[in-house]
Amino acid sequence: MTAQSLKETLHRRVSRIAEPQILFPLIAVVLLAATWGATLGLIRIKHAEAEHDAATVSHELLGTYEAQVVRVLHEIDQTLNLVKFWHERAGMHGTLAELKDRGLLPPDLVFSVGIADRHGTILESTRPLGAVSVADRDYFRDQRDGDSIRVGHLPRGATGDGRVPFTRRLNAANGDFDGAVIVAVDASFFVSGYDASKLGEHGVLGVLGTDGIFRVRRSGDSMFSGDAINYSSLLPKPDELDADPPVSLSSWDGVRRWSSAREIYGFPLAILVGLAQDEQLAAVERNSAVYLWRAAAGSLAIVVFTALLGRMSWQLAQSRLRESDSKLAHAQRVEYLAYHDGLTGLPNRSMFSKLLSQRISEARRYHRELAVAFLDLDRFKQINDTLGHEAGDQLLQEVATRLHGCVRDSDTVARLGGDEFVVLLPELEDGKLAATVAQKILGVIGKPFTLIGHEFRVTASIGISVYPQDGQDEQTLTKNADIAMYQAKTEGKNNFQFYSEQLNANSLERLTLESSLRHALERDEFRLYYQAKRDIRSGCIAGMEALLRWEHPDLGTVTPMQFIPVAEETGLIVPIGKWVLKMACLQSVAWQNEGLPPFGIAVNMTERQFLDESLLQDLASILQSTGMNPQLLELELTESLLIHDVENTLRILTGLKSLGVRIAVDDFGTGYSSLATLQRFPLDTVKIDRSFIGDLVGPSEDSGLADAIITMGKSLSLTVIVQGVETKEQADFLRAHACDELQGFYFNRPLPANQFAQLMRAQTANITYVGTRAGLQNQQP
Amino acid sequence: MKASALCALVFAVLAATNIQAEDIVVIVNPAAKAISKDQIADLYLGRSGGLTPIDQTAGSAIYVQFYKQATGRDVAQVKAIWSRILFTGRGLPPKQLPDSAAVKQAIAANPNAVGYIEKSAVDASVKVVLPLD
Repeated sequence: MTAQSLKETLHRRVSRIAEPQILFPLIAVVLLAATWGATLGLIRIKHAEAEHDAATVSHELLGTYEAQVVRVLHEIDQTLNLVKFWHERAGMHGTLAELKDRGLLPPDLVFSVGIADRHGTILESTRPLGAVSVADRDYFRDQRDGDSIRVGHLPRGATGDGRVPFTRRLNAANGDFDGAVIVAVDASFFVSGYDASKLGEHGVLGVLGTDGIFRVRRSGDSMFSGDAINYSSLLPKPDELDADPPVSLSSWDGVRRWSSAREIYGFPLAILVGLAQDEQLAAVERNSAVYLWRAAAGSLAIVVFTALLGRMSWQLAQSRLRESDSKLAHAQRVEYLAYHDGLTGLPNRSMFSKLLSQRISEARRYHRELAVAFLDLDRFKQINDTLGHEAGDQLLQEVATRLHGCVRDSDTVARLGGDEFVVLLPELEDGKLAATVAQKILGVIGKPFTLIGHEFRVTASIGISVYPQDGQDEQTLTKNADIAMYQAKTEGKNNFQFYSEQLNANSLERLTLESSLRHALERDEFRLYYQAKRDIRSGCIAGMEALLRWEHPDLGTVTPMQFIPVAEETGLIVPIGKWVLKMACLQSVAWQNEGLPPFGIAVNMTERQFLDESLLQDLASILQSTGMNPQLLELELTESLLIHDVENTLRILTGLKSLGVRIAVDDFGTGYSSLATLQRFPLDTVKIDRSFIGDLVGPSEDSGLADAIITMGKSLSLTVIVQGVETKEQADFLRAHACDELQGFYFNRPLPANQFAQLMRAQTANITYVGTRAGLQNQQP
Repeated sequence: MKASALCALVFAVLAATNIQAEDIVVIVNPAAKAISKDQIADLYLGRSGGLTPIDQTAGSAIYVQFYKQATGRDVAQVKAIWSRILFTGRGLPPKQLPDSAAVKQAIAANPNAVGYIEKSAVDASVKVVLPLD
């Protein structure tokens, strides 16, 4: 284990200790240990002090007692010697009476003095000694053989009034044994100094013989005499004289005491002082009990306190936990919202980006291909506008469900916003298999939807990019799928397209267009071209259509088909449209001023232009400022635009008509509008789409349809123009069917103003027919 | 015979009662000052000195009665008290004289002496300072 990891381990342990469930019990244990340690230590110290005190007191009491006993014994011995002296000298009766008269005998209160002859018969005494003869007593018999003080003892039992006899030998003149002097002392006298305040009720104070027999011993108020103990064990060893006496069990009454004993010099006696252990320690035991109770109470307080603290801390931790849980839940919710689409619940763009990056890494590692399919609903805006946003949302949800239902579990469906969806197909052996899936998707989207009670059909355009050939990273793949999808849109919608390099080039172009379109007006890059409309009978120029061209400095001429959708999308169409109108009017007025005939001039209008609030106002001011005759200006509107919102269209058209301009329906026949609807509009001209004249020659459906449409226009008293006439056969057919005017490459391709002016001048100079096919063919690209 | 014996016994008991009930007085030398009952008790229980207490024979009727009346203690207690004083060397018990006459004599001879006798035994040689009852 390295020093670093050791340090970390230590740090982990330390921080683990800081957790409440460890910390508070630990604090409690430490406090309890401290409390009990201090209490028990204090008790032990107090105990030791008390023991030492008891031993000391015992020792001191022994010293005092010794002094008192020694003094009394000397007094007794003095009396014995005095009587012995007088008796031996006088050798007659009356010794005691004489001594007493002289006050030489100790008080009668506790002392009795007697003299016995050689046979043990009491000759005289100060008080009765209780026996007539002492011949059989040890203290008397022993005096026959020796000359020292003897001390008798009481029979075993309570002391009562019993007396302890002290004797000395009496000698005859020749030195023979001649009896003994006896001093009998109340046994209780020796222990009359018992002080209960120091010795208590179970202490002991006593005098015993060196023979081990108690002369008297006292505990409290009880006095006993005559019992024998092991004398030698009672006395301290010589080397322990100064030490505290140990506690020992008193053999005579079974009480444990600190006992001190000491021999009395010159007498066959010893004294004993003992302090009872239980009495001496009672105070300290009581204190100990108090300390223990306090410690117990303290412990309880500690436990309760730390338990409370612990509980509070635990609650705090819990609430923190709950808080962090709710934060986590909130964070998860936020993350969900951040990565999912609220409407459909599908992953959103951010999530899709992450997933795609992930899948690309996997595909790279396992050498697989993956496909990204971009899907955009066609006409979604229209549905949203006509049926409302709720229906639109419902449609998106239904689309999401259908998409989800037709791909594998491992595939991902995401919504990027609006009506844009993307399907990620991460496990493909061959990227081309994505076509199968795309077809399947087109199939399920194509099935009818029921929205707010109406059955609807929508279509989708799908663009597909495949890893690795169409891009190595998430951004490129996404972008390329998007480009492919745009391609699918331009290809007529309701289809899918794989990405290709060519598409990319187009797309780049589109991007450039968008940015430079913004500056095109101010840089004066727009030009108007004019295409002739010819009378079907005479072939003469009957009018013209102004067509917008963009002379891009880098890209060259850009056709309207390329940039109008962009302009429409960005809203730039409104200023551009105004410019077109103004230029067309200025040109027309200029030509008239040149003396050229007043030809009608048609200008296309887009949806956005048409719906622009200030259209009427702008148009009126253009007409006024240019001096253009409104009758010569024809506005071309597509059929689908007109029927989108019939009432609104009617209102705007009425406004336009009030300015005096003519209204033409462009692409007539493609909007499936009913005759009744068309009849309501103040129209002047219908233009038939070239799709109806594609194959007019021969008994085909197309020829019948074109015929029907022309007839219809005629029946509404409208000028009928067929556009996109490219072949002589077509022109012939239309001429035969009483169409009014023709327009198309077959007759004239669009020309710049100066060339178109030449064309008009030529016609005016009676060159009646220039529309030979050969001549026109020369002008074609 | 029986009746006369019984009569004698009754008389003896009554006589004893009479003796027991005889009043005791504390006496001092006629020249001495007066003395209180508390002082007497202290003097005879060895609690104070100054005067010389004189006792009668231990265990005699007057001795027992005196200590009962003057100190409120019985013989054994008095003995224990004086034993202790004696043993610890703080004093000697009062000198005991055989009868009231000896007491009177001793008091008459010593102006510091204090004694007690039967009230009936009082004469001019001594002064009564405190009758006991």
